[in-house]
Amino acid sequence: MTVPSLTARDVSRIYENRNAVANATLKLHAGRITCLLGPSGCGKSTLLRLVAGLEPVDSGEIEIGGTIVSAPGKTVAPEDRGIGLVFQDFALFPHLSVADNIGFGLKNLPASQRRERVMTLLAQFHLEALADKWPHTLSGGEQQRVAIARALARSPSVLLLDEPFSGLDGHLRATVRQSVLADLRTTGTAVLIVTHDPEEAMLIADELALMAGGRILQTGSPPECYLRPVSIEAARLLGEATILPVRISGGVANTPFGIIPAPEMPDGEANAMIRPEALRFDMAGVPVKVVDVRFGGAFQTVTLAAQDLMITARMSGTSLPEVGAQICVSLDPARTVIYPS
Amino acid sequence: MAVEAFFAARRRISIPFMLAAIAGLVALLPLLGVITTALFGETADIAARDIFRYAATSAWLALFVGGATAVLGTLAAWLIVMHRFPGSDIFAWALALPLAVPAFALAYAYTDLFDVAGPLRMTMRGNMGFDLPFGMRGLGGAVFVLSFAFYPYVYLAMRAAFLNQSVNVTEAARTLGCDGWLALYRVALPMARPALAAGVALAVMETLADYGAVQFLNVQTLTTGIVRAWSVYGSTVSAARLALPLLATAALLLWIERRGRPGRLHEAGNARWRTLPVKNLSGRRAWLASAFCLLLITAGLLLPVGWLLFNALDTSPDWTRLLRAGSHSLMLGIMGSAVTVALATMLALGTRRLPMAARLASLGYATPGAVMAIGLLVPAGIIWNLMPDSGYIIAIALLIYAYAARLMAAALEPIDAGLTRVTPSMIHAARSLGRSETSSALAVELPVARGAMLTASLIVFIDVLKELPATLILRPFDFDTLAVVANNYALDERLEQAGTPSILIILLSLPAVIWLTRKIAFSRPGT
Repeated sequence: MTVPSLTARDVSRIYENRNAVANATLKLHAGRITCLLGPSGCGKSTLLRLVAGLEPVDSGEIEIGGTIVSAPGKTVAPEDRGIGLVFQDFALFPHLSVADNIGFGLKNLPASQRRERVMTLLAQFHLEALADKWPHTLSGGEQQRVAIARALARSPSVLLLDEPFSGLDGHLRATVRQSVLADLRTTGTAVLIVTHDPEEAMLIADELALMAGGRILQTGSPPECYLRPVSIEAARLLGEATILPVRISGGVANTPFGIIPAPEMPDGEANAMIRPEALRFDMAGVPVKVVDVRFGGAFQTVTLAAQDLMITARMSGTSLPEVGAQICVSLDPARTVIYPS
Repeated sequence: MAVEAFFAARRRISIPFMLAAIAGLVALLPLLGVITTALFGETADIAARDIFRYAATSAWLALFVGGATAVLGTLAAWLIVMHRFPGSDIFAWALALPLAVPAFALAYAYTDLFDVAGPLRMTMRGNMGFDLPFGMRGLGGAVFVLSFAFYPYVYLAMRAAFLNQSVNVTEAARTLGCDGWLALYRVALPMARPALAAGVALAVMETLADYGAVQFLNVQTLTTGIVRAWSVYGSTVSAARLALPLLATAALLLWIERRGRPGRLHEAGNARWRTLPVKNLSGRRAWLASAFCLLLITAGLLLPVGWLLFNALDTSPDWTRLLRAGSHSLMLGIMGSAVTVALATMLALGTRRLPMAARLASLGYATPGAVMAIGLLVPAGIIWNLMPDSGYIIAIALLIYAYAARLMAAALEPIDAGLTRVTPSMIHAARSLGRSETSSALAVELPVARGAMLTASLIVFIDVLKELPATLILRPFDFDTLAVVANNYALDERLEQAGTPSILIILLSLPAVIWLTRKIAFSRPGT
């Protein structure tokens, strides 16, 4: 892979004896979108602020384009780092028009070049018609485009976005997200998006960074992270999972809901992580009892019980099993993981 | 909170930080002057007994005016916010207009109107064979005059408080068994109590600071004592000792006023905000409400100003003197508001970095102008000794300094409010777009606060035009303002002559007052 645009190495930030960020390591690459995912309070916003230079690091270092910009006792000011920042509330300047907002960071360019750059960005983000409008007259999606165009005006090597889609309504959110990301990819910038929404993160990211308790648990592509989480904690960040205690013998874990191959695991106690969609109807599978059925449109959420254990399954198909009925199921080994206990 | 955290994390000596510190020191210096003079000055010519007597009069005056303004202002605000009646839309902003009238002008007009040999009582004695049992000179008259001059402070504070209350709370009280009156008494009023305290504190601050009206009405307060100690006995130390209790009271009032700020205890919070239901009054109740509002405006503005005007028409004013004084007033007003707003802006931009500076400035606001002037006499004396020929310029500079130190907090308030439109993320955005801390303050914060700076300069302008005691103490020799001219005529018992400069002050400040009150009256939460 290419040389990263930004590298954060073992950075920590301590607030009142609490590690808000603990030894986090993160690499951002040009033209790729990295999503930093974690529950609120996990330190992801702090990490973003450290990268942006809004706060000093207590240990570790951050390097942008080969230059160390943050290290203990050294913080290159946000304005001198060559980063772009997009805020959750967009933070458009209310006293400037759309075009002037976008041109705000281009103070040092001659007027003609500045105008040209602003025009390019307006076109790139489909904002030409709004150039002379005031920020408060724009819709949420339009405001966000302006905020992103403004942040990109100085051609930063890294663009940081803090929960950029959380201010948008449900339906709008998906459309805006899709078109904004398509536009963003054309710029070739390294992009870091902070979000707490796992589905959103998996949809938009080239690379995921899972964060909890100030630590980065795992980095990798969305399928890697989802299907092969490094720990139960990481597994839970990306979606529902049932954890069952299992016994391994002869490279196979036996669960009441089916068997899971565990070829490299020694015999003994272990934990199985089972995604809801790992369970499928299988006439050759094991019999389980249906405890509850919820129709969810594309799939059904079915609660199954066997040997005092319960599990939530997400099953496709339109014929609903009846509560109290017995059905046979098996497990898709691709969507299960065994962890040593 | 994020803002404070951000600035706390990187609190260092930046330019905005330095400027805020300077502005804070501007407000602090005269106060230090008063305290050091009072504590370390040589023996004063003033007896402790006199200080006590003056203080007692000031206390009574503050108590009565505070009570009267509380009742008048609250009633007016309650009528305006929750009712519709003939003229209520106009009364909404017109009720604040008496702010344009200097208290001393009210004193002149009412003293003349109610004089034993005045037109009113002559007519009464002649036609009705009966006389009023009181005159204006004395504590009662002063309470009357100052109450009508200062009720707008309570009115504006209570009006804002009632408008900010969420209807849900009142409706909850109604469903819990309170009728309309009981809901007002048990819910709306207690919720507005902090605003009431804040409004009354402002009225009392102004009462304690007043010189022109009480002096004319022969009431001996601490403030008149200060001016007299300095002008008659030439004793700065006596003046400073009289100023000490005022300074202590100012600090106390300030504390009360701060506690009453919205955002503290009783704020309705971010609950969904709906306008309070407005009750349409009809018949006798409607006319009573109209009459009450009209009475306030008549007593605070129409009657006294009309009477001054009526009398002034009979005189041939000394226009050369008035024009000179008018140009001085205008010059001081413009320069004073420019300097004050500049300092207040420095303070506002730096408050997030140095909250202490703003608190110092507020103490200046609570401090009467006379006290401020006495505090400046010590540094002034040093400068005069060093540069005896620069008297005029130094005196003007000191005068403007006194206005700025006193009014900085009044100007700070709207500017601060204007700056709340700049969210922390906007500043971060500006920083990430290549602007330094100072540059982002200039490119983002200043332009956003521009409208608020205009508001602030008008507030300062009006107050400078009406200012008397500090001007009397610090002005250069033979330098009159309209207020000084009016005061001099009045002291010579040439009341009809005092009318014209008073009216000129009102004419100069009325457009600004109308602009401000309409702006306040039509602003609503969230706009």
